[in-house]
Amino acid sequence: MKTQELILIIEDDQAISKMVSLSLHQHGYKTLVAADIKSALRLIQTNSPDLIILDLGLPDGDGKGLIKTIRLELAIPIIVVSARHEEKEVIASLDSGADDYVLKPFSIDELLARVRSAQRRFLGLQPNVNVILCHELTLDIEHHLVLRKGESLKLTPTEFNLLKYFILHRNQVLPYPRILKEVWGVGYQSEMQYLRTYINTLRKKIEPDVARPIYIHTEMGIGYRFTCDTSNFD
Amino acid sequence: MTLLYPYRHYMVSIVLLASITLVSQAFRTELGLINIALIHLIPVLVIALHGKMGSTMMVTASSVLMFDLLYVPPKYSFDVHDLTYIWSFIIFFAVGYTISYQAKRIQTNAIKEIFLNTLSHDLKTPLSSILGNASILLKEQIIDPKTRRDVLIQINDSSQRMNRLVSNLLDSARLQDTQSALRMEWCDFEDIVGVALQEFRYNPKQSQIVISIDPQLKLFWGDCALLVRLIVNLIDNALKYTDEGKTIRLTITETGETIKIICFNESQPIKKADLKNMFDRFYRLEHSADIGGSGIGLSICRDIVSAHNGEIEAYNVQNGVCFEITFSVTKSPSGGLKELL
Repeated sequence: MKTQELILIIEDDQAISKMVSLSLHQHGYKTLVAADIKSALRLIQTNSPDLIILDLGLPDGDGKGLIKTIRLELAIPIIVVSARHEEKEVIASLDSGADDYVLKPFSIDELLARVRSAQRRFLGLQPNVNVILCHELTLDIEHHLVLRKGESLKLTPTEFNLLKYFILHRNQVLPYPRILKEVWGVGYQSEMQYLRTYINTLRKKIEPDVARPIYIHTEMGIGYRFTCDTSNFD
Repeated sequence: MTLLYPYRHYMVSIVLLASITLVSQAFRTELGLINIALIHLIPVLVIALHGKMGSTMMVTASSVLMFDLLYVPPKYSFDVHDLTYIWSFIIFFAVGYTISYQAKRIQTNAIKEIFLNTLSHDLKTPLSSILGNASILLKEQIIDPKTRRDVLIQINDSSQRMNRLVSNLLDSARLQDTQSALRMEWCDFEDIVGVALQEFRYNPKQSQIVISIDPQLKLFWGDCALLVRLIVNLIDNALKYTDEGKTIRLTITETGETIKIICFNESQPIKKADLKNMFDRFYRLEHSADIGGSGIGLSICRDIVSAHNGEIEAYNVQNGVCFEITFSVTKSPSGGLKELL
């Protein structure tokens, strides 16, 4: 990695922050560690990091509040780390402005993949084009087409809109209410059965093996993630 | 029979009281009032030993009433002329209460002990594997890449196992709570199976799992996270008892009113008694002491299934074992989203 980007790790457990810091170093990032909100705010002021990894369970306050404070001043990716069984917290922090999340216990590969894809999104490395490739899928926005291995897929208008929304927001966690609002419209945010049904039919049309999906991944209790990036699995 | 099972203590006490009455009536003069009174304590003792306060109090009351009615003068009435008999009645209740209370305490302690033993075993086994393997990596200066990889796979496997156990314990605690703890929403079983399989993506036997799901399967109203855990535990269990190269088949079908999940794996037949007891907490098959796992997985399966008003059973089939879960469909998603191509 050519750039020496600075990542701020806000985490009160030393074992975790050490491990994360070590593996980020190995992948060419510079890191800073803050164990509480106070020192995190100080480090943000003095060092202007390029990305923040934030553990939601901090000793001196609420992580969501910190996200809002950071958002007021800085436009940088924030990745939230949380324990399982705290889906509500994760959703709330995504609403507060966090970009992505990982659940404890997480693998370093998972975290690195999140860091890379959050960075790409922020750096605008995904140019505005009319044709987007994703594994075997090709989305042609202008001609309202989706191809799989070169063959046109028969999709209903809603299926097409859903897939288009997914591909435009690929590699990024999309909470259920957000998908429903963006694809179906305001007022449909709680119509989960629509979403489940359409995900089911869409998977049957695009996934090689529905029980082992490679595109549409379910993030239980939170939302879906459309994966285009093979480097997510390395 | 299973319907009456929860009331078995009441049944036993009625039978006991009836036979005692028969004996006492037949030998009334030979026995004398004191012995008859003592005999009437027998059902109280028998039932109190089970530690169930409700049935103990019931049987004590009936014993006292029978004794009063048939033997305490005036006979065949509930009147008591000699007030010293009131003392006998109070003693009856005191005996019942004390024994029942103690029995309950002993039972709770026994459960706690099994719980702690199993937990410490199941947490310490993977933990010692992690510690041991990590110290190999720390100590040995030169390790060939293959050994190194094996050691790391061991660490990874053991951590996954611990992670699953902790998730199970957390879900189990959630299930011990009231029904309100369930987070009900529309669940797609295809989706749930997909998420469950993710947990086994690095398992070498993963490719032996064959999935077949009814394409017409409707959405199911349930707690999706718990249903994921159900499928994970079923697959985990099947993987544990299936040899390399043998098949595991997970089938989900729908028949209008019910959804059936069948998990089949090739293995030796399971003994009849085990088929039933397997779902009890911390029960483990005799020959399976060497296989990692807590014996908590299947009991959580049962808890999750019954929280959804379903049924789970296990049975032997030709060259394998089947776990079958039946959910009745009580709620169907509202229509109105049909869309034409």
